[in-house]
Amino acid sequence: MTTIRPLIADQVSRSFGKVTAVKNASLTLIPGEITALIGPSGSGKTTFLRLLAGMERPDSGQILSGDTVLASASRHVPIEKRKIGLVFQDFALFPNMTVLQNVMFGLREHAKDERVRVAESWIEQLGLTHRRDAYPHHLSGGEQQRTAIARALAPKPVAILLDEPFSGLDPSMRGRVRAAALNAIRVANVPALLVTHDASEALLHSDTIAVIEHGVILQSGPPNSLYHAPGSLAVARALGPVHKVERASLPAAWQAEINTETDTLWYRPEAISLGKGPDFTVSGSRLAGPVTELCLNLPDSKEVLYSACQPETPLTPGERVQATINPALFFEFVAETT
Amino acid sequence: MPRSLPSLSAIPPMLIVVLVGLPVFVALYAGVAAGDGATWDHILQNRLMPYTGTTLLTLLIAALIMLGVAVPAAWMISQYDFPGRRIFSWALILPLAMPGYVMAYAWADLMGVAGPLQSYIRDLSGWSARDYWFPNLFSVPGLAFVLGSTLFPYVYITARAAFSMQSLATLEAARSLGAKPLDLFWRIGLPVALPAILGGLCLALMEAAADYGAADFLGVQTLGVGIVRSWTSFGEPNTAARLALMLVFIAGSLLIAARLYQGGKGVQQTSSRWLTPQRTRLPRPLAWITTGLCALILLVCFFAPISRLLWLAMESNARRVDLIPLLRATLALGVLGTSAAFVAAMVFTLAAKRSAFLRMATRLIAAAGYAAPGAVLGLGALFLLRETGQPLAGATAIGLLLWIYVSRFTSAGVEPMQATLDRLPKNLDHAAQSLGSGGLRQFFRLDLPLLAPGALAAGLILFVEILKELPATLMLRPFGWDTLAVKAHAYATDERLAQATLPSLLIVLAGLLPVLLLSWRLGATERS
Repeated sequence: MTTIRPLIADQVSRSFGKVTAVKNASLTLIPGEITALIGPSGSGKTTFLRLLAGMERPDSGQILSGDTVLASASRHVPIEKRKIGLVFQDFALFPNMTVLQNVMFGLREHAKDERVRVAESWIEQLGLTHRRDAYPHHLSGGEQQRTAIARALAPKPVAILLDEPFSGLDPSMRGRVRAAALNAIRVANVPALLVTHDASEALLHSDTIAVIEHGVILQSGPPNSLYHAPGSLAVARALGPVHKVERASLPAAWQAEINTETDTLWYRPEAISLGKGPDFTVSGSRLAGPVTELCLNLPDSKEVLYSACQPETPLTPGERVQATINPALFFEFVAETT
Repeated sequence: MPRSLPSLSAIPPMLIVVLVGLPVFVALYAGVAAGDGATWDHILQNRLMPYTGTTLLTLLIAALIMLGVAVPAAWMISQYDFPGRRIFSWALILPLAMPGYVMAYAWADLMGVAGPLQSYIRDLSGWSARDYWFPNLFSVPGLAFVLGSTLFPYVYITARAAFSMQSLATLEAARSLGAKPLDLFWRIGLPVALPAILGGLCLALMEAAADYGAADFLGVQTLGVGIVRSWTSFGEPNTAARLALMLVFIAGSLLIAARLYQGGKGVQQTSSRWLTPQRTRLPRPLAWITTGLCALILLVCFFAPISRLLWLAMESNARRVDLIPLLRATLALGVLGTSAAFVAAMVFTLAAKRSAFLRMATRLIAAAGYAAPGAVLGLGALFLLRETGQPLAGATAIGLLLWIYVSRFTSAGVEPMQATLDRLPKNLDHAAQSLGSGGLRQFFRLDLPLLAPGALAAGLILFVEILKELPATLMLRPFGWDTLAVKAHAYATDERLAQATLPSLLIVLAGLLPVLLLSWRLGATERS
């Protein structure tokens, strides 16, 4: 019986030539929790995942499963001995094997009947029973990804690492596949790392979010705290759009509400909504799904403010509106002005 | 969709279809229509069954040799890092430059009683030649060894491409599920690459089935040898025709099998990250063992025979061979044959681009060219000549020989040009036509410049293939038109191996050009 323990990266670094891909990164993956690692392309997300999985060796630092060292300066447990499940964006199913054979691949320690039984139970849990004997090229993208997740979970891994697992799926099926897959991972009660560039996916489905940029983990914590209290402009931007505004250009009433000390502020567009407050002229309006993006001009000012809100009726440029703010979504970042 | 072809412009490509297909059709027709009764019983019992059995046994052993050499080498080179890996990755296709008959001459000398290997054994042990057993090259396994060692690069190239195309993620997923290196090979790497490997194997076996020179020199009674001997020595055209029918059946079956394997049947990758797998560094002893094995393959299949031929050429009076008439005949036939086959291939490629029907005909023509060995086509030409009552001499013989070259090699010229076309955007023609281009203007301004890389490769391949061609040239050349290949074969079968070396080396030297081009392309693909 495998004991489920946290998977820990402790001050891990990895360089390729002169390029530092991961620098002193520390992160603890808790069993039963999904940790999302987000960051722009080339930020080191995938390298960090490969270090955890054992596909890369760290130059320094340690990777531990509980108190067992998986990688350090003097030790490297190879990928095939780590028992860490991997799920890739492109599914990576074995094309010469059926769904059942794929899921059975990592089950070696039992008799064949037992292996079939375990594999079938995972196939059922992921809703693939009717596709049990199908080959990968006969499956839809969602079915392939669910097979990949069943295959990774069946051998009872000590952790599961998912490298942009849902970004290759059709948007219409992404939500359903993601819900089924992440639910199965939570039931398995293993530490899970979800590498993604989709902030909404991270916010919606993870217990912890870690933001990485230039190989450095900038901040980690619960989604709510990172979204509402980002420690840096990079973290704020990683989780959604932010806009810059000079404090002095805001209406006096808003300045009083926002309790900050710096001249330059950053705000999320949903910080400004329609409601009782100063008057603005609408200079632009664009429907963006459930919300409308508005460009608002203060009278006698060139400063444009951006709002994501839900007006009761469509607005057209030139209309006059009143707006209010949520001061919690205005941030100040010392020494960050770009 | 290619549009249907206007009737007039269909005439040249259709003429080429007829030109290419007629000799093989005639040979096959003669085989089917050959008389039966007592003659047929004689052919069946004394010729067809023994020749076919020997051919199939040779192919079976050659297949095992090629798989045993090429697949592990391709796997190690695509998956692991070891000293010399980069060099071996392209150098292992060098044996393709050696025609089977040249390899046979060299190894026959190396392994002969008076050759260096046996002499060394005797010097070392003090035995006499009767005191030990030594493998006999003049046998079915010997022929299989010779053919396997020149043709294994076909399997190596396809296996290496298939292994390199495997998704990195798939192999990493297998490793994360506990698969060890041998598991990766047997459970993932090999099954996924198997269709491509078998496709390459079938092509290699088809070439092996078409061999005449090596088998004739080694005294192995294969179908290719049987066809030529039945016509030239025994005066049995019916036997020759029946044997040709069987040989085309075997080669055609192999071609169909190759096309089936390569045509999408079998394992389909669903992973889209077609990355060259990141190679694992082998631990030191294993790395040197792998290097040693790759070096051994190269030594046995290329450097040892080449070195021996060079040694023989320098040591003996090989320089006394008058090369001038040989070179003159070889170059004349090579240039004329290449020009004719090149024009045929170019017409065909461009016509096929514009017509769905001709696209299908291209496949047929490729099949006819591939599946009909030189001996069969030569036989077809002789049957045709017999019908006209003309003697095999002078311009008639040369014309007939050039025709057979076109029939045999047009497909080899179409392939690189077609590959160049396939890489171009599909709507290029439509874009040009929408801008008012068409006819000769489009040919000179668009088609020709775009086809140039493929056309150059096609020209080179055609020239070298014609230069190496043996059975048809042997059967059809007029008096005084011995080529390098014909003369080398004559010297070798006459047990004047030393004289055979210089023409053989020149053939290998020419053969190296397209092989080096292919090596460079493979290297470029890997680097990209």
